[in-house]
Amino acid sequence: MPDPRASDDKASITVLVADDNDVAQRLCRRVLEKAGYSVLIAADGLQAVEVALAKRPAMILMDVAMPGIDGIEAMRRIKAEIPGQPIVIASAHSMASDRERFLAAGADDILSKPFRLADLVAIVAKLTSRT
Amino acid sequence: MKPFRTRGLVHRATPYLLIVTAFAVQAEARLGPLPVFPMYLGAVLLAAVYLGRADSLLSSVLAAVAILVSSTSLGDGSGQSTTPLLLAAILVVVAVAVHEAVAGIRRGADAVQLKLAEAEAREERLRITVEAAQVGLALIAPSGEWLQVNERLSAILGRSRAELMHMTLREVTAEHDQAAIEEALAMLRSGDILRWESELHQERADGGRVPVEIAIAAVAGHPSGEPVMLLQEMDVSGRKRLEGLRDGLVAVRHVIVSATTWEQAAPQLLSGLCAHLDWDVAQYWTVDGDLQALRLRHAWHRDGSALEDFHNQSRRLSIASGEGLLGRVWQSGVPSAQEDLSGATDYDRAAEALQCGLRAAIAFPVVIAGTVSGVIELLAAEPRQIENDLVTMLSTTGAEIGQFIRRSETAQALRRSETDHRAIFERSPIGIARISSEGELLEANPALLLMTEHDFQSMRSHAWPDLLRAYDQAASRARFAPLLAGISDGKSVQVRAGTGSGKWLWLQLTATSIPDASGRPEHVLVMVEDVTIVREAQDKLGEALESQRSANATLEKLDRTKTEFLSIVSHEFRTALTGIQGFSELIRDGGLEPDEVRAYGGYIFNDADRVNRLIGDMLDLDRMESGRMSIRTGDVDINEVLSDAIARAGSSPTVEFKADLDPRLPIVAGDRDRLVQVVSNLVNNAVKYSPDGGTVTLTSRSEGGFALVSVTDTGVGIPPDEIGHVFERFRRVRSGAAQSIPGTGLGLTIVKQIVEMHGGKIWVESAVGHGSAFHFTLPLAAENVTPLQRRHA
Repeated sequence: MPDPRASDDKASITVLVADDNDVAQRLCRRVLEKAGYSVLIAADGLQAVEVALAKRPAMILMDVAMPGIDGIEAMRRIKAEIPGQPIVIASAHSMASDRERFLAAGADDILSKPFRLADLVAIVAKLTSRT
Repeated sequence: MKPFRTRGLVHRATPYLLIVTAFAVQAEARLGPLPVFPMYLGAVLLAAVYLGRADSLLSSVLAAVAILVSSTSLGDGSGQSTTPLLLAAILVVVAVAVHEAVAGIRRGADAVQLKLAEAEAREERLRITVEAAQVGLALIAPSGEWLQVNERLSAILGRSRAELMHMTLREVTAEHDQAAIEEALAMLRSGDILRWESELHQERADGGRVPVEIAIAAVAGHPSGEPVMLLQEMDVSGRKRLEGLRDGLVAVRHVIVSATTWEQAAPQLLSGLCAHLDWDVAQYWTVDGDLQALRLRHAWHRDGSALEDFHNQSRRLSIASGEGLLGRVWQSGVPSAQEDLSGATDYDRAAEALQCGLRAAIAFPVVIAGTVSGVIELLAAEPRQIENDLVTMLSTTGAEIGQFIRRSETAQALRRSETDHRAIFERSPIGIARISSEGELLEANPALLLMTEHDFQSMRSHAWPDLLRAYDQAASRARFAPLLAGISDGKSVQVRAGTGSGKWLWLQLTATSIPDASGRPEHVLVMVEDVTIVREAQDKLGEALESQRSANATLEKLDRTKTEFLSIVSHEFRTALTGIQGFSELIRDGGLEPDEVRAYGGYIFNDADRVNRLIGDMLDLDRMESGRMSIRTGDVDINEVLSDAIARAGSSPTVEFKADLDPRLPIVAGDRDRLVQVVSNLVNNAVKYSPDGGTVTLTSRSEGGFALVSVTDTGVGIPPDEIGHVFERFRRVRSGAAQSIPGTGLGLTIVKQIVEMHGGKIWVESAVGHGSAFHFTLPLAAENVTPLQRRHA
């Protein structure tokens, strides 16, 4: 549902949202499209790897607890193919040890669930503007 | 020679001269042969008698020729020519006959002469033989007077022949043998016996006694006409002495072999030496190490109180090394003798000995391991000539006695040690088994039999072999060698063993092999200790430690589980809150279409509901697991619960429900609300995991006092690697087709808790792509009545 007020310059920027929870998918799609990004959805880890390699999104918002391969493994595989691919781990696992674990695995940033919508937009903007 | 030869010639010529004379006379007187024939005959006879055969023949032929010649030359008538021939023939025949007769007579005379000469020579030889014989020979009168004595016998008896001629056999015989001699002579005289032999002693002039072998035989037809007896005697003192030495040594060895201690052997040894070597007194002196002197220890003597005095006097003495005969023997270590004590200057007890009638002494050392430990002294009542072989024999005896004393001391020590060890074996509180190198039980001490409650027979026949096997098994676990394979380090092994009364013990076995002299293991000693109490205490301690460890592990696991649980729960809540927070933020910020607001409100409600259910499930689970949830037990009709569940879920658009309920199923005792929760949870799961429709079947059965309920679907199924975890909390099957199916992840955990709280069981069968079947059981009510019966009642 593209927003007519979305700035055109961001329409070419594609963001991949990898999350098995359909509520989370809908929320992210709604918020990011409103912010002017193109949004791709993957419902599990393997699908995320597939889409990332095929569509080369500007950044990926990656859940961790997903069926099949989890977000960490998916991130590893993607970074192995596209080392510069920005990936944000968006997880409900939000203990301190989890954060370190994700960063060590190569995440560019971390977004803890639940999140404020502004934080989601800001972190996507930060990582997409870098590219 | 000359006169003899001349006379011979004259002698020999005489017949021929006679023949010549007769021929001359015949020729001169012109006579016929008949008148001078006697002359011819005389000449021929002379030659035949006195001269040899040749002369005899020659003279007769000559005379015959002379007769014939004279008759032919002087022939006086023809009718008389046969007479001279006859006469000549007579002459020749007479000559031959007479000569043969004479020769025969001569030969007979020569033979007689020869026999006489031979007889003379034989007699001479016999005389020489008798004289030179090495045996004593004599002729005695039946009364015992000596008639004739040879030199040897005179030497044996130590008396001259002249002296003997005035004595009798009895008088030269030792006193104790005289009766025997008299008796023998009497029997020979009476003719009861012809020959008598014996061994006895005879007394010499010097008082010495000589052992002899004697034989007396009655001699028949002695030229003198009186009855005489031939006596033959041999000095056997040499043989007797050697026999004595030999017997003495044999006796010593016999005593040594049969006795066990020197104290026991000493009296027999001393008396044996005296008896066989013919001494009167024997004393054993020992070296007293403290006093550095010889002291009398054992004494023996032939009967006689005087000799007892000698011992008593000896007992008071301490003899120093080198002092007197005994001291010298002690010092030198070699035998020494005093052949005649009278006049001896270097004898320690000369006065006492002489006073007690002792005249000779010999002493020899008892040597133990090269050291003189004692001295044995023999004394005799008369002077003795000490022979070398006696000295040698006594040296040997001393060495053998020394070895014996040493052996007996060692043996005594061994016996003491053996006794000690036996006592240890018998009284040890530790069980001891002695086994052969083949493992056979040879000996078991009382402690072992008591401990194992077996008698020796049952121990040997089966209890021990069992124990041996148990040992080898335990040893092999501990990487030790088997019991019989060369144990040297005495390692201990603990085994479980049954006793005769059926108790079970822990026995600790420690084996030690005992090698024989060659170092080969001869047998094995096994110490057996009852370590049951120790072992049980150890086991209890071990169990306590183990339970402590497992408690610690459980705590750690609980801790981990708690952390994990918190992590999972917070993840679940945050996931739910993500939608709630995000969509409510969108709504709050406004600018939404009404449709959007409605939709987002729906998302928010669902997630909030989910959070609520999550909290409810968690609280339920916590109450159940902590035992704080009680079950309000009542009569429950399971069929009714199942039917209600189908009715409630009947709104599902895609799934078809089937019920296969047993109408005779008795009521169960349970908490109806909780059982409704179980069934609806399983039915909801079945629907959720059948995303493409299908059939959900509910069945009930009565089986062995339980109600068996199954909820079967034809859905996605559970992968094999997950099926074991489906009842664990937050283990939702999320893979494959089931990934997007919502749930708290606590439902099945709660279901399992509830079923188990009712005393039932729950399990699952499943195949991916074909569906799953959850089965659970519930115990039937005690009355065992069906709901129908209940209603009718």
